[in-house]
Amino acid sequence: MKHRTGSMLLSYLLLIIITTLFIAPLMMMLLGSFKADHRVLLESGSVAALLPHDLSLQNYSDVFRRSDFMRFFFNSLFITSCIVICGLLVNSLAAYAFARLQWRGRDLLFNLVLALMILPFEAIAVPLFYGASMFGLRDTYSVQILPFIANAFSIYLFYSFFIGMPKELEEAARIDGASTLRIFFSIITPNAKPVFATVAILTFLTWWGSYLWPTMVTIGPAVRPLPLAIASFYTLPPLQWGDILAFGVMMVSPVLLVFVIFQRWFVAGVASSAIKG
Amino acid sequence: MSRPGQLNDQTMPALLLVMPALIGLLLFILIPFSTALVLAFTDLRLGSPLAVSFVGFDQFLHLFNDPDFMRALLNNLLFAAVVVPLQTILALALALLLNRGLPGTVAFRTLFFMPVVFPMSLVAVIWSLIYAPGPNGMMNAFLHWASLGHWEARDFLRDPLLAMPAIMLLSIWQGVGFQMVILLAGLQGIPQTLYEAAALDGADRWRQLLHITLPQLRNPLIFVMLVTTILAFRLFDQVQIMTRGGPENATTTVIYETVQAAFARQQVALASAMTVIFFLLVLAVTWLQRRFTHQHREVA
Amino acid sequence: MINRTQLIYFLLINLMLITILSGCGKGTESTADLNLLRVWAHAGQESERTVLQQQFARFNQAHPDTRVELTLIPEGSYNAQIQAAAVAGELPDLIELDGPFLSSYAWQGHLQPLDDLLDDKLVADLLPSIIAQGSYADRLWAVGVFDSGLGLYADRSKLNQAKLRIPTLQQPWTLTEFETALEQLAKADPDGQVLDLKLNYAGEWYTYGLSPLLQSAGGDLIDRNRLRSADGVLNGQQSLAILTSLQDWISENRIDPNIDDTAFSSRRVALALGGHWNYQQYSSSLGEELLLLPLPDFGSGSKTGMGSWCWAITARTEKPELAAEFLAFLLTTEEVLAMANANGAVPATRSAIDASQLYRPGGALHLFFEQLDKGHGIPRPRTPAYPVITAEFQEIIDRIRSGGEVASALNNAVEKIDREIAENRGYPQSGDQP
Repeated sequence: MKHRTGSMLLSYLLLIIITTLFIAPLMMMLLGSFKADHRVLLESGSVAALLPHDLSLQNYSDVFRRSDFMRFFFNSLFITSCIVICGLLVNSLAAYAFARLQWRGRDLLFNLVLALMILPFEAIAVPLFYGASMFGLRDTYSVQILPFIANAFSIYLFYSFFIGMPKELEEAARIDGASTLRIFFSIITPNAKPVFATVAILTFLTWWGSYLWPTMVTIGPAVRPLPLAIASFYTLPPLQWGDILAFGVMMVSPVLLVFVIFQRWFVAGVASSAIKG
Repeated sequence: MSRPGQLNDQTMPALLLVMPALIGLLLFILIPFSTALVLAFTDLRLGSPLAVSFVGFDQFLHLFNDPDFMRALLNNLLFAAVVVPLQTILALALALLLNRGLPGTVAFRTLFFMPVVFPMSLVAVIWSLIYAPGPNGMMNAFLHWASLGHWEARDFLRDPLLAMPAIMLLSIWQGVGFQMVILLAGLQGIPQTLYEAAALDGADRWRQLLHITLPQLRNPLIFVMLVTTILAFRLFDQVQIMTRGGPENATTTVIYETVQAAFARQQVALASAMTVIFFLLVLAVTWLQRRFTHQHREVA
Repeated sequence: MINRTQLIYFLLINLMLITILSGCGKGTESTADLNLLRVWAHAGQESERTVLQQQFARFNQAHPDTRVELTLIPEGSYNAQIQAAAVAGELPDLIELDGPFLSSYAWQGHLQPLDDLLDDKLVADLLPSIIAQGSYADRLWAVGVFDSGLGLYADRSKLNQAKLRIPTLQQPWTLTEFETALEQLAKADPDGQVLDLKLNYAGEWYTYGLSPLLQSAGGDLIDRNRLRSADGVLNGQQSLAILTSLQDWISENRIDPNIDDTAFSSRRVALALGGHWNYQQYSSSLGEELLLLPLPDFGSGSKTGMGSWCWAITARTEKPELAAEFLAFLLTTEEVLAMANANGAVPATRSAIDASQLYRPGGALHLFFEQLDKGHGIPRPRTPAYPVITAEFQEIIDRIRSGGEVASALNNAVEKIDREIAENRGYPQSGDQP
């Protein structure tokens, strides 16, 4: 008994140490966002980086003043939500077809989809840009949303989950004469909430911080998203670290909040995809 | 009862379901990639008023003779070879720790997962501050303290030997939470009875780990390694923000070279050639990975 | 049968799709309003932005039958966004450009020359450096309303303590004097670091702030006569010598890394390479002890950097005269001073210089004007290859800082620059510009 408690204590201690090291950067960011610019750098090496003192909201008010934050926040929210919601629909349907239906060309196409998972956005950005320019789609919401709806990685995640779902429910419904679409919406979807939550969050995370594409296709502030707005803070050196960190905190907080609230679903979803995959 | 024919060939409904996604992938990934494939054989430059011509394999030859690009390939392979196992092992260790049912597991799990939620650009900014040179920099100060004063302050991001490890560290920091969460859930799905039986047979903790835990975690581990490998090859944001490929190419990566070529030097055709090589490389690596681990498709 | 929830989802998704596909939220106007002038500028410091917005308001008030419209674009992504818009053929009527990148846009055919659009008297009043920066292939493509000043700030008390001669533009420090000064100052300095080169800035600063050292030593970034090759120049003897000296100063610990950006203002160092934008902070920290000195003469005279934002009229605009009129407005003495007072930069016209407290003879920053007026300012190479040149030079400095071999870094850069120029066939001029 003593041995077990001892080893439990040791584990706990180890965990605490690792956690402290782990969250030090986060603490530094949070505290730095409340400090005057030059102090951020000055104090980063000492414990003062982690201890709050002399804090102010100056940086936050700077951010609002300098960059019309709310508008860009709304733009990012709108764009990312559209990508997520449309993506959930489009990718889950495709994954279901790959996972459960028998059809010609299925395996070939699936392997193609898997292969496309490799390509990062940067690799196709320029040709895509030429295309967008040709069709006069620059500086709109559409051009920041449409290209990212279909996503090989999301399809893979959905697929991994659907593969592991028990077949009985579907078989029963099919015997009763239900159409494929109906089966999908009334049977699969309600039972696949975890993977939907997972894909939703991961997709959101991927595109919330997207910078390269908006740089290439937007100009004015009307449809400019949040990550691009941070470029306003990269003016003549010296950089204003305090403002930049405050901007960062504000950019990350909503996502963090959503994650903390929905984490149970999310964890279950991510896990089941992986386990069943 | 439906006819057997209908059950076996569901092409029509399948195509309906799959069409939107396929159209999207076709229009926005496949076609641009094919364009890049074609451009790789030209000498196109962004915005140049000069006429474009086909140059055959010139761009590829140029790349294979280019020390920057070759170093980038090497760096990518090195990065993947170090980060994938290290991050996975760390994630497994953390998952094992958290699986012991200590108080506050949910809180810890959330904390470890937090960095995953940060855009990489923000992570790069934070770690730039941590790696600040001079004794004031957090990492320098920490190492100084941990080594009881033996550590001399270094400029991590400018040191040819330390820059890549520095980038690796922050990448692992950002990604380990994702893997940990998966592995933890996997661990929680392993029936306790297996461990009890093994203990009865006299197996110690280490043997239990090797012979029960790891095999049971096979699928999640494979999933996690595949995803991490692909993401490791896409290394870009950190390098662009923190080291710009330096010092002396110590941290340059294929995607960084591609973006530099396309946007800083406006060499669209060269960047396209890099994209093609990149694609083939990662395809080969992931194919090899899948062959060696053949994922078990368990249909429950 | 679909139930109500499904119906709602269905409608919601359709609504979104319609919104997206209708391209709603198009950011830029496509009105062909004959008297609307669309202008893009970078979002700089707050004071600059405020003044700019006020200037637009003033012009609009004075000219009720026209309208000038300003779009501000983040500075950090400015060049990338402009280039993307240019390639897509969507530039407005008047744009601001970062000086060194002018040649690229001019060569690509996105701009139109200003020679016939601007009044001769106006052009005559401009500082020679403004004309130099805005010219490419013998024509004037852009004019700035201010220029930048680069000099060596010094702490008078420390110089006096080390018994050093105070250099002037007529008699700057020589290389020997400079290195002696470093050593003398180091004796009195606790950490031996006495010079701040703002190495923490990195990026374009390296080229802007450090290439004058190269030029002062007789080297340069590229052969300026034909602009075809950097060979023998960037990797020539003089460049090699001065850059090796730079590396020595770093390894001998004379250079403060300036991580917290306060090396000079906290009086840790005696000398600081700096620009006009540092003046306000430095003068409030050092007050009377602040000196502004010319850069040393490393063999070929004291050289300094120059160049900043400038305005250009696009090739596709339908209102070049209106654009020119607005440009002339920005160049009136009052407006030039308004902007120069906001950002502390060197006013672009002689009339404004005479009226400026800081820059007129006897003013604290008069040196900046003198340097530019007397030709000490060397523009960054006016070639479309500039982006590559600056990228390679920054790489050289990075390598020098991490102790790499200077000669091979230089040769490497030369090779890349030369290849870039060759692959662009030397940037031939394409027929007649409009």
